[in-house]
Amino acid sequence: MIVRERLSATAIHVILLGWTALALFPLFVIVLNSWKSRKAIFGEPLGLPTGEAFSAKGYASVLSNSDFPLFFGNSLTVTGVSLALILLFGAMAAHALTEYRFRGNTLIGLYLILGIMVPIRLGTVALLNLIVDLGLANTLTALILVYTAQGLPVAIFIFSEFLRSVSHEIKDSARIDGLSEYRIFLEVVLPLVRPVIATVAVFSMIPIWNDLWFPLILSPGENTRTVTLGVQQFIGQYTVDWGAVLAALSVAILPVLVLYVIFSRQLIRGITAGAVKG
Amino acid sequence: MATLELADVRKAFGTTDVIHDVSLDVADGELVVFVGPSGCGKSTLLRMIAGLETLSGGAIRIGGDPVDHLPPSDRGIAMVFQSYALYPHKDVRGNLGFALKHAGVDRAEIERRVNAAAEILGLDELMNRRPRELSGGQRQRVAIGRAIVREPRVFLFDEPLSNLDAALRVHMRVEILKLHQRLANTMVYVTHDQVEAMTLADRIVVFRAGRVEQVGTPLELYRAPTNRFVAGFIGSPAMNFLDARAVAGTVRLGEAPLCATTLADGPVTLGLRPEHLMRRGKGEPAGDGEATLEGTVQVFEHLGGEAFVHVELADARTLVAKLDGEQAFRPGEPVTLGLRRERCHVFDERGERETALH
Amino acid sequence: MSIPSDDHQQPDKLARRPIRWYILVFLAPATIIYTVFAIYPIVESLRLSLYAKETGGGSGFVGFANYVRLFGEPYWATRFANAFWNNVVLFAMHMLIQNPIALALAALLSLPTLTGAATYRTIFFLPTLLSVVVVGFVWQLILSPLWGITPDAMQAIGLGAWFRPWLGLESSALVTVTLISIWQYVGIPLMLFYAALINIPEETIEAARIDGLGGWAIFWKVKFPLILPTLGLVGILTYIGNFTASFDLIYAIQGGLAGPDYATDVMGTFLFRSFFGFQSQLGDVYMGATVASMLFFIILVGVGTYLFGVQRRLQRYES
Repeated sequence: MIVRERLSATAIHVILLGWTALALFPLFVIVLNSWKSRKAIFGEPLGLPTGEAFSAKGYASVLSNSDFPLFFGNSLTVTGVSLALILLFGAMAAHALTEYRFRGNTLIGLYLILGIMVPIRLGTVALLNLIVDLGLANTLTALILVYTAQGLPVAIFIFSEFLRSVSHEIKDSARIDGLSEYRIFLEVVLPLVRPVIATVAVFSMIPIWNDLWFPLILSPGENTRTVTLGVQQFIGQYTVDWGAVLAALSVAILPVLVLYVIFSRQLIRGITAGAVKG
Repeated sequence: MATLELADVRKAFGTTDVIHDVSLDVADGELVVFVGPSGCGKSTLLRMIAGLETLSGGAIRIGGDPVDHLPPSDRGIAMVFQSYALYPHKDVRGNLGFALKHAGVDRAEIERRVNAAAEILGLDELMNRRPRELSGGQRQRVAIGRAIVREPRVFLFDEPLSNLDAALRVHMRVEILKLHQRLANTMVYVTHDQVEAMTLADRIVVFRAGRVEQVGTPLELYRAPTNRFVAGFIGSPAMNFLDARAVAGTVRLGEAPLCATTLADGPVTLGLRPEHLMRRGKGEPAGDGEATLEGTVQVFEHLGGEAFVHVELADARTLVAKLDGEQAFRPGEPVTLGLRRERCHVFDERGERETALH
Repeated sequence: MSIPSDDHQQPDKLARRPIRWYILVFLAPATIIYTVFAIYPIVESLRLSLYAKETGGGSGFVGFANYVRLFGEPYWATRFANAFWNNVVLFAMHMLIQNPIALALAALLSLPTLTGAATYRTIFFLPTLLSVVVVGFVWQLILSPLWGITPDAMQAIGLGAWFRPWLGLESSALVTVTLISIWQYVGIPLMLFYAALINIPEETIEAARIDGLGGWAIFWKVKFPLILPTLGLVGILTYIGNFTASFDLIYAIQGGLAGPDYATDVMGTFLFRSFFGFQSQLGDVYMGATVASMLFFIILVGVGTYLFGVQRRLQRYES
């Protein structure tokens, strides 16, 4: 019996390693070749960038010819601010819905959450008109508002589920101590939802950072491009210069990779913690 | 024959030993209770008997057959978990019959066993309900029923009553006792509650830090604990331990000798069970074979029929006495306690109990 | 207790109760942003689909004329049918390939005795985090006939003759793009299944082991029934994502025209071209709104089926 179990373990690892290879190989190949000369890229695609094969020309092109830092900054701003608004407004709304009884509580709750099932992209036509009318075309603000609206339903849902399981007692004792409802929210409730903030952040961040649709439609201007759109346009221009293309892709991959490796534990914990409430 | 033998069983997690050379022989039909504080290894040992954990050393035999390399389902055991571990997506009948159905037992036989178990445990009304529709006590009975249906050689219980409220626990304890009388199976029962241990066990095994401290019937453990740990663990409220001195063959708290001892002169520990202390009138002469202690009442807990009185002795030591609840006590009131000399337990410096006198 | 905590205990009975402004304050920001930027645009798009451009500028109410155009005019009808059908294929492939793979990987990862589970999890989720643009181009390069990687690799395992420029061929472009999408997004259902599986109490699994079930039987008879709600959730999320978010990858790889020759056109790209225009095709806001409305309806059907069909039947298994 014990022997049989150990064999199964090997088979399991074979399968998992197989998928690992499938998942990592494309990325590995790209980053590897981004450091090679054109000849080496085509001559020996799988070879290491050593000696003659080494070339940093691709990176030179990318870093001198493009506004990557700008794009990156744009993405950071949009994602960061949207996330902050989603977390704050989402927590506020969830708190109001779960803490207080008032007429229309259930209705408003359902209204806010039905956004999970209705993709915001469907309203793009009117959204574009609205943004233009508000004079927000080609601004990061437009993206922020849209992404906040997009991320609120999921945030409210996850926060609500969590807050419902938290006892009223700690808030009641704060009331006895004379705190206003606002202070109770800021000083008692917000710290309480810390465990699920990671969950909400993960669910919200990825669709925002990687989104191509709204930057393309609402803010394609050179100054307001996000890194996703920027990479897409950049590569479109340089399709012949493989070195530059590979370098550009590597530049796009690396920051995310680094951040991910640093935060992977929290990220995964966040997803698995909140994802169960389905 | 469903005997259970543990021979020098050892378990290590990594480089740390958690179970140290445990040996035990359980007779056919005996109800043995593993008891001890949290983390003492009793649950681990139970899981090793079940086959959910591997052995690092030693051997386990059920009915004389070594079972170390057998999977849980082939050992002839059944287990009742603390959290009941019922299948949420099946109703009671489905839960009871699940294992048999999977093993391909024929339908008539499954029905016979399931109905028999249901009748024993009073589950007839609940057969079509899902676990989430059952109360804690009902779920526990279904968990027990699931074990009965397997017709095992040995029943294993892992703290089955810990999740129930106090009143229900008392009720279920009696149910399990009656079950044992009816089925007469060998049972190993793990608990941290010494009351459960005392009331259910034919024999108790007291564990501490992965080692067996003592094995014996409840009464043996009560009357003759081998050391301070067992003495303090069995009995509620716990035994009073007082630092005393052995002087010239007697044990003294102050100057007056309280009882005899064969230990050499030096520090010893005197053990007195609260229920062995009696109230004596002031100035009343000590009876034959009795000693007295003087003190003042600090606090008393009134439970109706009895009272736990916390008494402060002359030298600021305190002990608890279990006295008759009909009497009145006032904090600060002086009180004289009497104790029979043979009820004294004397422990040496290492905590070992002196056995010569008893 | 005489504190305003009767907020959450007793419903409002006193007529002269002061207005609890803080409730409004808490709800307002989220509700306003959400209504203005999410709900209103959708409703407005639906309304716009009932209007059309009038000669001489301006727009007028035309009822369902746009819809008639969408289904009647050959140009629109063929494009719509093509996009819709491609999307269905995309969805089917995701349901039949991505989700079973995710379930299998999650089942393996959730085994308590697995060493290195955390590392595997981290690696498997990595592609999902990448920008769709990156993924699109990475695969475009790898599958490119100009570069030797794929032909060489296939040569090495003796399938050299089978290599084709799949992304460029009408017959295989959609399937290839879909496989790339699956490669990237397997991480999401993987995480959801994984979370559901590790939430099954360990003791329930142990009880099954004692009952004599082996790994395979435990999965199908104990674990699988208990994660059915998650399966439903994954299904509906795949549906919604496939019909809306698939745009990004296809646009990145094949461009706005979803080439070759509309072989990879899906509802998202179709919608994009309809109202935004692309290269030679002029955008028409009203037709765009019409396409969006159709997409809304398609999604509604899916969500409705989920909420009333799937969810209700799954209630029975809830524990």
